[in-house]
Formats: sequence, structure tokens, C-alpha cells
Amino acid sequence: MIKAGNESAYQHFQNRNRGDTMQGSKRRFILFIAIALVVSMFLAACSEDAGDEKVKEKDSTKVPTSSDAKSVEITWWNFPNFQALDGEVGKYEEGIIAAFQDKNPDIKVNLEMLTFEGGPEKLNVAIATNTAPDVIYDAPGRIIDWGKKDLLAPLNDMMPEEVMSDISPALLKLSMVGDEVYMYPFNTGPFMMAVNKTLFEEIGELDLLPLDRPDRTWSVEEYEKALNAVKEKAPDIIPSGFYAKSVAGDQGTRGYITNLGGSRFLNEDYSEVAINSAAGVKGLEWVVQASRDGLVAPGAASLEAGDHNDLFLQGKMAFAINYSAVLKSLFAPNKTEDFEDILLPYPTPDGSDPKLEPFLGGLAVFNNEDDDKIEASKKLIDFIVNDPEWGEKNLIQTGGLSARNSITGLYEGSEYDYSELARKFITDPPTTADGYAEIRTFWFPALQEAILETKTAKEALDEFAEKANATIEKAKSAK
Amino acid sequence: MLLLSKKELDWGGRKLLATIRKPNKHKLYDWLMSYLFLLPALTFFLIFVVYPMLRGIYMSFFDYSITNFEFIGWDNYVTLYHDETFHKSLINTIVLVAVAVPIVIGFSIFVAMAIYKKSEFIRSFCRGIFYLPAVTSVVSVTVVWGWIYHPNFGLLNYVTNFFGMEPKSWLGDPKTALMAITVILITTSVGQPIILYVASLGNIPTSYIEAAQIDRATPWQIFRKIIWPLLMPTSLYVIVITTINSFQCFALIQLLTSGGPIYSTSTVMYGVYQQAFLLGNFGIASAMGVILAIIIGIISIIQFKYLGNDVEY
Repeated sequence: MIKAGNESAYQHFQNRNRGDTMQGSKRRFILFIAIALVVSMFLAACSEDAGDEKVKEKDSTKVPTSSDAKSVEITWWNFPNFQALDGEVGKYEEGIIAAFQDKNPDIKVNLEMLTFEGGPEKLNVAIATNTAPDVIYDAPGRIIDWGKKDLLAPLNDMMPEEVMSDISPALLKLSMVGDEVYMYPFNTGPFMMAVNKTLFEEIGELDLLPLDRPDRTWSVEEYEKALNAVKEKAPDIIPSGFYAKSVAGDQGTRGYITNLGGSRFLNEDYSEVAINSAAGVKGLEWVVQASRDGLVAPGAASLEAGDHNDLFLQGKMAFAINYSAVLKSLFAPNKTEDFEDILLPYPTPDGSDPKLEPFLGGLAVFNNEDDDKIEASKKLIDFIVNDPEWGEKNLIQTGGLSARNSITGLYEGSEYDYSELARKFITDPPTTADGYAEIRTFWFPALQEAILETKTAKEALDEFAEKANATIEKAKSAK
Repeated sequence: MLLLSKKELDWGGRKLLATIRKPNKHKLYDWLMSYLFLLPALTFFLIFVVYPMLRGIYMSFFDYSITNFEFIGWDNYVTLYHDETFHKSLINTIVLVAVAVPIVIGFSIFVAMAIYKKSEFIRSFCRGIFYLPAVTSVVSVTVVWGWIYHPNFGLLNYVTNFFGMEPKSWLGDPKTALMAITVILITTSVGQPIILYVASLGNIPTSYIEAAQIDRATPWQIFRKIIWPLLMPTSLYVIVITTINSFQCFALIQLLTSGGPIYSTSTVMYGVYQQAFLLGNFGIASAMGVILAIIIGIISIIQFKYLGNDVEY
């Protein structure tokens, strides 16, 4: 009985087991098919491009119509050079594109907005991976570097003699490599400093500012008097700013120190550093001494240009060292205190004319080896800069002055008038020197060393010069 | 008594032999199934992890800039060997790891020990508080710490002022900047270890601890001889992960100090970013990344060797 019972139980177990196995096998089989399907779909999706190519190949056998043949699609990458319309970044640019496409229906423009923080990195990666845009609106520092590396299409055919002769040599120097024009200069304005005029009115020391002089030039001694007046009569206000945390806004610290000492940053032909001269050292020593005397914002080594601007715009600092007509209009929404910000040139040792580096914005075309795209890109640039309706409107939207000497009187207001006047102080900036992108990474550690007094101003600038000269030499030999 | 007939025994034997004879078909089937299940994840892993790693090693032997791609052998490594800034970055990175990791482990165990026997509410509350910096955006955390350390209007200077200290530029002084960054790194790193340790402590059988208490062991002896060894698998994971995260500290430095002042907070990861994305030297950046990966790999192997064991409870 036991045996018989065991036998039937065993058979039952076997049958059930077989059934389970069959069910399990079935389930596994279904799973297998499902996974295989998913994987094949995934692989198919990955190879979509190849499929598209085939479709395109097929399509390309069609006889092209006249509109197909001319149709060009280009990409425009833009930093926030135009003031945002209704607070929406890129909205103004979309308006330009719509108007351009109305006039050029065969050209489609794709816009991509960059930020000043992440844009340079994105451009570097895009160029390295052959995905550069067609049109870029940027400053000469980067554009000329790309021009030297043969990444851009020359724009000489867009610049007839009458246009070239209408642009100052300093600005042209910033737009060219040899005889080739790589950047179409558009908006400009000299970089200088600014003062909180309302504060000086409140402390009754307005006379200490050079506002009664038409060109507002002044000496370091006069500047010191103004700073000391703030320190004594408005102890809660920081007299002046300085920053050395990062490369951003380096034109401010450069312009400030070179004018305080009366030196150049690089020599005339950009072959070596000049700021470590006696005059340059004097300029930096002045900053170090002013820091000791409490005339400069504490912690300047850890402040960046943005922090420095914030202090000024919040009414906590009397003088800002990085300002311009363009920045004044860009900063206007960030002002948390109601005060009058007035442009001033940097002081010089004897009160003579300062040398002001210009802000310059311009447009360039990447040579993506497609002549149609290059031509379409040039048309877009021409529209942005020279269109009878949009050209002037675009310029005003940047808040800058025209790079052309003949286009003046765009704005109303004394600060724009002064900015126009200060164009006579414009000098050639070092940003187009060979290897400048790397040179500027040595600049702020040198300033930090001097401010923190781990090295003397002379030692810090000599060390900077040594590294920067080696970089210039390396960059020149790599060409 | 269970009796099986000869027939049944024969049947069982045949079945057994069949099982022995046909393992390959089943194994092949299981093998195929396993790898098919793994395939989607494996595909992503190969494309987005293994390929970039191998490509990074390859790139490190090239002079790779935005316009150039030329084989230069070991030159990038030689350049880094002589580069003072890279040496400073490497030293800063090692200091950051050496200070942050032990503090994170010690503090996490301390908090976990303090809260794991408390009520559910207190436990959850404390876990939430310490985990908050880990789930908050690094940018937000950095902005807040930037204001705490601000040289002119910072909260920390306001507090230290009560003790008669002069205002200090915490991030602007080479003597304090790296430690100021380390403090932030610690606050953002302790959340996960605390949660893991609290869970791990809950798994230790209370009978072990009660037995030790009956034997009149001191709390320190209980911790050292029972709790710490039983926490070892968790500790190993926490130590390895915290070490790797600390080695890769980048966002805090980029947002707060940009590697300054005078390179005192520059780390290898920041150097990689600076070389690749600011200067366009992708070859040197890759070489830096390879060196960092080798260092992290060696340290992880050492940690596994000395801390890894097969504790089961």
C-alpha cells in the first residue's frame, strides 16, 4: 500500500513537475522573444541614422526643384549680447531671425543662446568635435584665436574700403589676422570705471570727482583723496573694489593697474609681457598699499568680477573698476539701490590721458566647408549689422556704440555722450595676442599673490611675465 | 519503509544520467537568458562608461587641441610630471581626501550610534536633516556657503566677531580656503553614510551585545570588538565611495574658488576641467584623468584588501 501510494504520489509529483517545467519553459520562451524584440528595437533605433541616410540617398535621386536647390540651413550661436526682450533670453534674436527669413526665405536660421559662463566651454567642445555653429557673435579674444587656427571664413568681401576706413585702426587690429578680416566689428565702447555720484553728493565731496572736466581725466593722487573721503565720511561704504578670483572680467584689473602705473600690459608687437616694468609694478603696489589702508574691498583675492559688480550695484561700494556704457545698461536691472552711476576714466600718475581697452563685439563665420552655408551666414551678418531697419535697432539693443566712426548720436544721455568722447582714449588690448587664453590663467594667481602679500608686486609680476612669455613663445612656434 | 521497484530505479537512473549528459543545453540556455537580460544595461555601460574610459586613455597619448590631434606618446605625462600646478592640485586633492574621509566616517558612525535606538520619528528627522545637503542642488548649497564665508557680509565672520576675532576672508586666504572647502564637502557627504550605518546597526543581533553586557564589557569594548567588526562591510562601501567622491570634488571648487587663491584649492578634477574646457587641451586633461583613475584604483584596492572581509550575521 505504501508502495502503491508512493508510486501514485511520485507520478503525480512527476506530472506536476513536468507541467511546471513546460509552463516555465513557455514563460521563458515568451520572455526570450520579448527581450529579443526590445534589443532589436534598440539596435534598430541606434541604426536609425544609417536608415535615414538610405532614405536621403533615395530622396537625393529625385530631380531637385529650384527652391530645394537653394535652401540652406544655418546655425547661429549667440551670447546674450542683446538686452533680453520682455526678460526672455533669445526673444529679441528670434525677432531678427524672423525678419531676416522674411527677406531670405531660402535660408533657415537655427538659434542657440549661450551663457557667458558655459558658452566658451561649449564652443571649445563643439569645435573639437566638428560641430561648430555657422555664425557666432562674440568678442575678439576668442574669435581671433579661431582665426589664427584657420577655423573661420574670411569676411574681406563684406568689408569694402569705405567701411574699413570708417573703423578705427585699434578696432580693426582686433578684427583681423594679417590681411584677413575674421570678425565683422559691430558694437563697442571703452572699458572704464564708475562712481556712485549720489554718495559723493551725500557726503558733500562731489568736488573731489573730475566731473567738471569735459574728458573727466584725473590723477592717482586725486583718486586717493576721493577714496579717503569715502573712508572717513561714509565708513559703512567700501571705497573701491578689486577682484582676483577668476579670469572673468580681467580687462578691469588690467586696465586699472596699467593706468595707475602708466604701463602697457604687453609690448607693442605682443611678443612679451610689459606689465612687469617699473611702472606696472608701481600700479600693482598701489593696489596692495590701498588694500592695507582699507581703501579696497577686503577679500579681493576671493571676489570675482560679479561679486565686485554686486557690491557696487547694491550701493555698498563707491567705485567700481570694470564698467562701460554697455555694462551700465546691462547692469541697470540689477541695481538694488537708487543711485546715479557715472562713468570715469582710470586715473593716471600725472592725470594725463588714460589708455582704455575697448569692449568690442562682432560676428564671425565658421568655415564648415560648405560654401552655401558660408554665403548664407554672411547674409545674416550683413542683415544684423547693416539692414536699414534692423541695423541701428540691433546696435541700440546691445547698449553699445557703433564700431563705425560715422554712426554716432544713437542715444540720449550724458553717459553715452561721455562714452563717445572717451573713444579717443581707446588702446589696443592684449586679448588677440598669441596664447592669450592661457596667459590670462596666470594673471589672477599673480594678483592673488600680490594682494595676499605672499610675494611682492615685483616678484608676482615677474613670475607672471616668465610664464606668459613662455606661453607666447610656445603659441608662436606652434603656428 | 519506502520501497522502489527496479523499473522505477532504472527510470530514476536514466533521468539522472540524462541530466548529467545534457547539462550544456540547459547551461547554454540559462547563459543566453542571463546575458539577454543584461544586454540593455550592458549596452549603455559599454557605450557610456567603458568606451569613454578607453577613449580617454587613448586621447592621453595625443596632443589633442581644438585643431590638432597628433600622437606624442608619453609627452602629456612628462609635462604633468614637471608641472608645478599639477603637483599642487594633486597634493590638495590628497589632503582633501585624507581629511574629509575619516571625518565623514567618524561623524556618520557617531550620529548613527546616537540615533539608531531613538524613536522612529527622531531617527527619520535626523536622517532627513543630514541627508538634505546630499539631495539639494550643489549650486544652491554653494551659494549659501558662499554667503556664509563672504569676507564682507558673511555669517561666519558675524559669529566669530562675537569672540573678538577679526573678519577673515575664509575662501580668499590660502591658509583657510582648502579647509573651508573640506567643511562643505563633509556636510554634503555625511547624509548617505548615516542612513547606511543606521540600517546596518539595526541588523546587528542584540543578543551579541546583551551577551557582552552580561560579561561586563564596557561600551567602548562593545563598540570596538562587536559593533565595528560587524559594521565592516558597510564601512568598506562607505569608505570606498566617500574616497572616490572626495577625489572627484569639482563643483564646489569651481563655484567657490576657481582653484584659488594661488592654486590653494585647485584639485586634479578642477585641473581636468580647466585644461579641457577652458584651454582646449584635451590630451593633457585626459592624462590627468588617467592618473587620477589610477590613484583612485590603487587606493580602492588597498581599502578592499585591508577592510574587506566576509562578515555575516
